Amino acid sequence: MVQRLKEVDVVIVGVGMVGSIVAKELAAAGYKVVGLERGDARFTVPEFQSPAVHDELRFDIRKALMQDNTREPVTFRNARSETALPVRRWESFLPGTGLGGSMVHWNGQTYRFQANDFELATRTRERYGKNFLDKDVTIQDWGVTYAELEPYYDRFEYLLGTSGKAGNIKGEIQPGGDPHESPRSREYPTPPQKEHFQGALFRKAATSLGYHPFPQPSSNLSQPYTNPEGVKLNACVFCGFCERFGCEHYAKSVPQTVILPVLLANSNFELRTGCQVQRINLDSTKKKATGVTYIDTAGREFEQPASLVITSSFALNNVRMLLLSGIGKPYDPETGTGVVGRNYAYQTVSSVASFFDEDVFINPFMASGASGTLINDFAGDNFDHSGLGFIGGAFIGAVNTNGRPIQYHPVPPGTPGWGKGWKQAVVKHYNHSVMFSLHGSSVSTRQNYLDLDPTYRDAWGQPLLRMTFDFPQNDLKMAAYVTAKGVEIGKAMGAKQVAGAPRTAPYTTTVYQTTHNTGGTVIGNDPRTSVVNRYLQSWDVPNVFVIGASAYPQNASWNPTGTLGALTYWAIDALKNRYLKNPGRLVSA
Amino acid sequence: MDKFSRRRFVATIGVATVAPAAALLEMAPAEAASPQQMTQPVSPAEPAKPVYLFFNLAEAAFIESACERLIPADESGPGALGAGVPNYLDKQLGGAWGSGERLYRSGPWQSGSPSQGYQLPFTPAELFHAALRAINRKFETQGTAFDALSAEAQDTYLKTLEAGGVNLDGVPSAVFFDMLLRMSVEGFFSDPVYGGNRDMVAWRMIGFPGAYADYYEAIDRHGEKFVREPMSIAEDARRHLHVDPNIPASL
Amino acid sequence: MGCLLALGASLIIADAAPPAAKSQSAKRPGPAAAAVCQGCHGANGEGAPAAKIPRLAGQSADYLDKQLRDYATGARTNEIMQNFAKPLNEADRGAVAAFFASRTAPSIAPNPRATDFQMARGHQLAHQGSEPERVQACDNCHGPDGSGVPHSAPYLAGQSADYLAAELQSWREGERKNDAGKLMYSVAQRLNDADVSAVSAYFASLGAP
Repeated sequence: MVQRLKEVDVVIVGVGMVGSIVAKELAAAGYKVVGLERGDARFTVPEFQSPAVHDELRFDIRKALMQDNTREPVTFRNARSETALPVRRWESFLPGTGLGGSMVHWNGQTYRFQANDFELATRTRERYGKNFLDKDVTIQDWGVTYAELEPYYDRFEYLLGTSGKAGNIKGEIQPGGDPHESPRSREYPTPPQKEHFQGALFRKAATSLGYHPFPQPSSNLSQPYTNPEGVKLNACVFCGFCERFGCEHYAKSVPQTVILPVLLANSNFELRTGCQVQRINLDSTKKKATGVTYIDTAGREFEQPASLVITSSFALNNVRMLLLSGIGKPYDPETGTGVVGRNYAYQTVSSVASFFDEDVFINPFMASGASGTLINDFAGDNFDHSGLGFIGGAFIGAVNTNGRPIQYHPVPPGTPGWGKGWKQAVVKHYNHSVMFSLHGSSVSTRQNYLDLDPTYRDAWGQPLLRMTFDFPQNDLKMAAYVTAKGVEIGKAMGAKQVAGAPRTAPYTTTVYQTTHNTGGTVIGNDPRTSVVNRYLQSWDVPNVFVIGASAYPQNASWNPTGTLGALTYWAIDALKNRYLKNPGRLVSA
Repeated sequence: MDKFSRRRFVATIGVATVAPAAALLEMAPAEAASPQQMTQPVSPAEPAKPVYLFFNLAEAAFIESACERLIPADESGPGALGAGVPNYLDKQLGGAWGSGERLYRSGPWQSGSPSQGYQLPFTPAELFHAALRAINRKFETQGTAFDALSAEAQDTYLKTLEAGGVNLDGVPSAVFFDMLLRMSVEGFFSDPVYGGNRDMVAWRMIGFPGAYADYYEAIDRHGEKFVREPMSIAEDARRHLHVDPNIPASL
Repeated sequence: MGCLLALGASLIIADAAPPAAKSQSAKRPGPAAAAVCQGCHGANGEGAPAAKIPRLAGQSADYLDKQLRDYATGARTNEIMQNFAKPLNEADRGAVAAFFASRTAPSIAPNPRATDFQMARGHQLAHQGSEPERVQACDNCHGPDGSGVPHSAPYLAGQSADYLAAELQSWREGERKNDAGKLMYSVAQRLNDADVSAVSAYFASLGAP
């Protein structure tokens, strides 16, 4: 028996960072907004307080803050020739849940993409010719440029209070920052976090090789900060329990510490937690959403009518929501037609381990999630790819975030997996190793995509999302190339032994890499190759906006979150100043 | 402020082991052990063996010997037995984790590729019982037991399991071995609240300071050893550890 | 005492002489440089809570050393303490810090005792913090029940309530500024007078570690 509720102006599916920002802006503009979040409410006090939160087994190994995989996993296969099977335990990627979403337990690494990334297809063709790419690669332009998004990047960074050093202010290269970055209008809101010892070693080595190291932009703040919303954050103390954990100190920029106090105080907004949205409902024309249907924790079904529906859940869940709701044509890899689920991409992450003598104390446990030092000399299109046979690249950095010993106990290649030899190696190397991350881009291809699984269902009886993905040749070549560069830096640090581990195929769901799942509801100017227009508005159902990294046509060399924040503010501008003044219509480009 | 050379600092580590909680940090004069810092953490008085609630006698005998081969005692410190790893395993397998916490348990079950990960219907508890039953039965029919073998022979047997190809009452041996090794590492390095890493021996062995973690000032001391007694989420103001293995894998 | 000093001396830079042993009152152990401290802080650093003179016994040596250094340079302002800290050379400072760090002394029961409200609210702030004020738990940095975390934060348990309250007010007003990362300033900003007195009274009521 479905209970039909009173209609509101806006219903938001997923109250993570995106949902919180959208809700705050629309509620402040006078609209009645309901935010539906499937998980629980949680706050810095009491849920993120230490020492209880500093429990590696619970939060890191057992994924206590993550999406409930016992009721709602995804299915996975490397290729269409296989049968997709459930990801029965999260490992490779870790979707979040609950109020604040995955930005509660993110690492705070806050990057911008570069101008080139937003016009990747055009610029690749211009620079390298139209036959440079492998035939199966389906990268495309975004339909919105870096220059258009720059003010929104700025707004998001100032909301968070991101700590960093600008490298390019309005075209002028700034010492100490990243000379490769696209121009920003002003400095970061707070200065960079302190550099740890491994960052200093990396900096020295990278500089000696002619590269341009700079401090990782960090939303674990370097000093107390009051953001434009009037919310205060504290300085981070480098506790080394960042990713997968809540922050006890109000020092990590998460929805609870940057915007929720303002949102939750606005009576135009109503938060409902424990609400599992089943689908977006459409009218008989299938071109207009009438609201959503959800089931609460007691199993009761509700219909929430609304004039405007915003789906701002995790990227994978946005795609699934459209598929379950029949919005947009599902992608068919066989024919190459359809768009929903198309251009799924990920992140191609490699690593380099450098081992030092036992009188060099690294203290890996002293770190924030983003207190590293890195270079962009081999990221994006910052280097000439002629003759290399791939596009894209990786940032390379001493960006290790922790020394939590269940997972972090580096040993050199050839060390036995257990026994006396293993134990001795662990003791010998634990505090005397530096791990680099090589955080690489991910091109989209015809054969990597998302759809609904034909067999497996969630606890509510709905088909699970099916992921078909393997690393394209392009990205494997890129990984090998950048890893070799990383090994050189390791050697230049004076390490006794350096071991590179480039990413190789096949992609496996059994080893953690990142939760940077992108694509599936791609942004663009052409409805034949995109699901949403450049304002993140559904081409098919104009009163539905899909805001998430599901919009990315391919993934760049950097973490997606900063760009998502910019897109969110960009979409809000279009919503407030254009869509809502003429609702029900496509906002023209 | 006078700087300590690294070599001098390394030389002082020997002093640290004499007064283990004497916190030494460069640049400061000797941190004489304060009464608060003098005491090692105190576990509740424990019998020589844990009270096994999940493992029966034969299972416990295998687990104790096998875990000690995986993480043996040596010059650097205790191994799995001394750290209470079998106790950790017993409490986890006998609790929510063992019965399938955080495991998607719907069928149909099909074997997949390595990229697709674990696809068996067994909960960890079921998996361990099945595998241990098969292992102990095999040794029984040979008139011996795993814990009666020499260390070398035990290692050889474990490597056989690790290599796969042995069916342990439906559990592929490589899957069992992988789970045993992972859980042993967890039991060794997790917070002692879970019943392993007894008295934080493993943390002390590698120099991991534990759950209280404010390094705002210490992070500036590049290259210098950080010496502090490790601290558990389970310790009270008197440094007594209150073990509680039943913490859920959810918030 | 001698062996502790020897320990201390061996870890100080090689050319600093250990403090000269002077004839001392039979009642007062410790290096000569500590004698003047003991006059106010007590023979074993037990403090004088009612006079806001903090307990030093068993306090973290590097915390004590830093405070003395900060008093000497003016990084922490207090006319009385400045005058005592300035004349200390580095060796003396280290010896004084090490001495008091090594002492034990019975806790002095607070007077007046904490009220029920102070105990309840203080306990909450100490262990859990408070979301409406967006203040985190003191124990995060100060250890279980404020028993201190070496190289991070001093113990609070058993400290003088009036002293703790005065310091929190000082942090709050921006008068005391020698905290790392402005951490104490950030916390104190979010505590009103009732919370300041609650958390101070609560910690004072606990036995010192």
